[in-house]
Amino acid sequence: MSQPIIEIANLVKRYEMGDEEVFALQGVTLTIGRNEYVALMGPSGSGKSTLMNMLGCLDTPTSGSYLFTGENVSDMDDDDLAEIRNREIGFVFQTFNLLPRATALQNVELPLVYSGMAREQRMQRATEALTRVGLADRMDHKPNELSGGQRQRVAIARALVTSPSIILADEPTGNLDSKTGQDIMRLFGELWRGGNTVILVTHEEDIARHARRIIRLRDGRIESDEVNPHAPLA
Amino acid sequence: MLRWPELQESFRIATSSLRVNLLRSILTTAGVVVGVVLVVLMGWTINGLDAVWEQTISIIGKDMMYIDKWNWAGGGNWRKMEARSNITLDQALQLQQRMESAEEIIPLIRKWGGSVSLGNTSIRCSVTGTTAAYGNTAAGTAAAGRFFNDVEEQSADNVVVIGYNVNKNLFPTSSAVGQYIKIAGIPYRVVGVIEKRGFLFMDFVDNEVFIPLHAFRGAYGFVGRSFSVGIKTGSERLLDIVRDEATGHMRSIRNVSPLDESDFSINEMKAFDQQAKNIRVGIWVVGMGLTILAFIVGSIGIMNIMYVSVTERTKEIGVRKAIGARRSSILLQFLIESALLCVTGAVIAFPIAQVLVGSARFLAVSVFELDWISVVSPLIPLDLLGIAVGVSILVGLLAGLLPAIKASALDPVEALRAE
Repeated sequence: MSQPIIEIANLVKRYEMGDEEVFALQGVTLTIGRNEYVALMGPSGSGKSTLMNMLGCLDTPTSGSYLFTGENVSDMDDDDLAEIRNREIGFVFQTFNLLPRATALQNVELPLVYSGMAREQRMQRATEALTRVGLADRMDHKPNELSGGQRQRVAIARALVTSPSIILADEPTGNLDSKTGQDIMRLFGELWRGGNTVILVTHEEDIARHARRIIRLRDGRIESDEVNPHAPLA
Repeated sequence: MLRWPELQESFRIATSSLRVNLLRSILTTAGVVVGVVLVVLMGWTINGLDAVWEQTISIIGKDMMYIDKWNWAGGGNWRKMEARSNITLDQALQLQQRMESAEEIIPLIRKWGGSVSLGNTSIRCSVTGTTAAYGNTAAGTAAAGRFFNDVEEQSADNVVVIGYNVNKNLFPTSSAVGQYIKIAGIPYRVVGVIEKRGFLFMDFVDNEVFIPLHAFRGAYGFVGRSFSVGIKTGSERLLDIVRDEATGHMRSIRNVSPLDESDFSINEMKAFDQQAKNIRVGIWVVGMGLTILAFIVGSIGIMNIMYVSVTERTKEIGVRKAIGARRSSILLQFLIESALLCVTGAVIAFPIAQVLVGSARFLAVSVFELDWISVVSPLIPLDLLGIAVGVSILVGLLAGLLPAIKASALDPVEALRAE
């Protein structure tokens, strides 16, 4: 196995809902290596979203350990987590989550703004990222002037622009028609073949089949973790 | 750690969000607009008052002091002053001989509530008998013609120099110089008109006519009147030296024993400083009260709209946090937006304040003919604009603080879930 990016051991996440305690994760142990293509599956309530939030450093666990490229994330404060997210993680969301009043280029530039990069360099990197997802001619368009597929490409460019360690996509085709969804999945495939580490979170078998490894969750535990026999050849 | 690209981004977001909600933004700033208008109006009024006051004392003469039976400022024991013996011409002339540090010593004798007439028109004014030297003081500067001269004074000619208001009332259209007016039934030839001196509550100084000392004696007599001795020091710096010398001589001339306090007062323009200061403080207190009230109301409005803005943009905050915005980035973004909102208010307020100030001045000068207001600038001074911008930025930062803290503390997972 290649060098691990994510090493999780005995991860537990407990929420308090009123008087009740809800265990969203009940001891998850997981290792993901560089340039893997993983699908995280499970029905709603399985802890899939919670695990994704942990992996994305958006949330911290109640107990257990999480090493991200060797760094202990479990007890980092908000600003350190923000920096890890900025540098190491590219998010792609189901609802795209672009800023409506900013152009495609400005949306893609945003992570670089927060990393403090100078304008010239930002423009250059953002332009490259948009070119890579096939939107070189749509850079000055605002999200409402783009189709759903194009919006998701902008979001992918935004995820790519910092050259993160992982790309974390949460139901990336959930708001797209199936043809456009297939296009987006092809793009993820290309990114993976280009050397990126991709983690998909989905409840759709069709989508999960694009990944090389499928991890299924149920009731806050890993139910199965296996190589995908249907995966297209690399 | 503040990063320049983040700061630029914050400004970009803030301006675009203000533009998108333009009407809402403008309405929100209403309180701030009122506050800034009040600050500017108050500052302008105080500045104007200072200008008027400066004009008044400089025309009456900063380098002048007057030895009188009475204290102008009204301080001291009234009964005691009433009991003082009158200052006589002889005492004034003795002082004139002894004084070394002063430029001019000018005896003055005044009849309050006299009257002058031209044909059937008669107006009340004070009549002052004095020497030609009064013409050398700032207060005796002629706007037309001249002050009477030594020869006219010595020979007690029936010549008169009239004050600004007397001229305006008796000779509204024609020139006064060379005309004859009657004082106490005797015709006097007008040789000069004094330039305007009085402002505000000092208007009475323009209701005055000056005749030679001995012409005054002929008209009204010296008996039962106390002289006033005008002393021109020639320079403000000499006031202390001259005052000391004059006090010494005057005590000796009036035989004041070393243990008693002086039985005369030395009056300077400073006597009126306290009055000017009181008016200033009055305006300041009322103005500040209204301003603070307006800013409190204004900042509540701003705070409210910023909370709305944070709620509306919860998702956006979540996205920004997900891609790496730190707490400080979000805090900064909303503080800048709130401050910019207030500055917008200030920018809206300036033309309003300028129009108010301009029309107030125009009305006063042109419609109500309050000439003395013409020394007040029709423009808002630049430093006031600076202060107003500074205050509004501060108000914006304070009003935006709580909403900005709320935004920066949002949990990214929760925020991303918002719709």
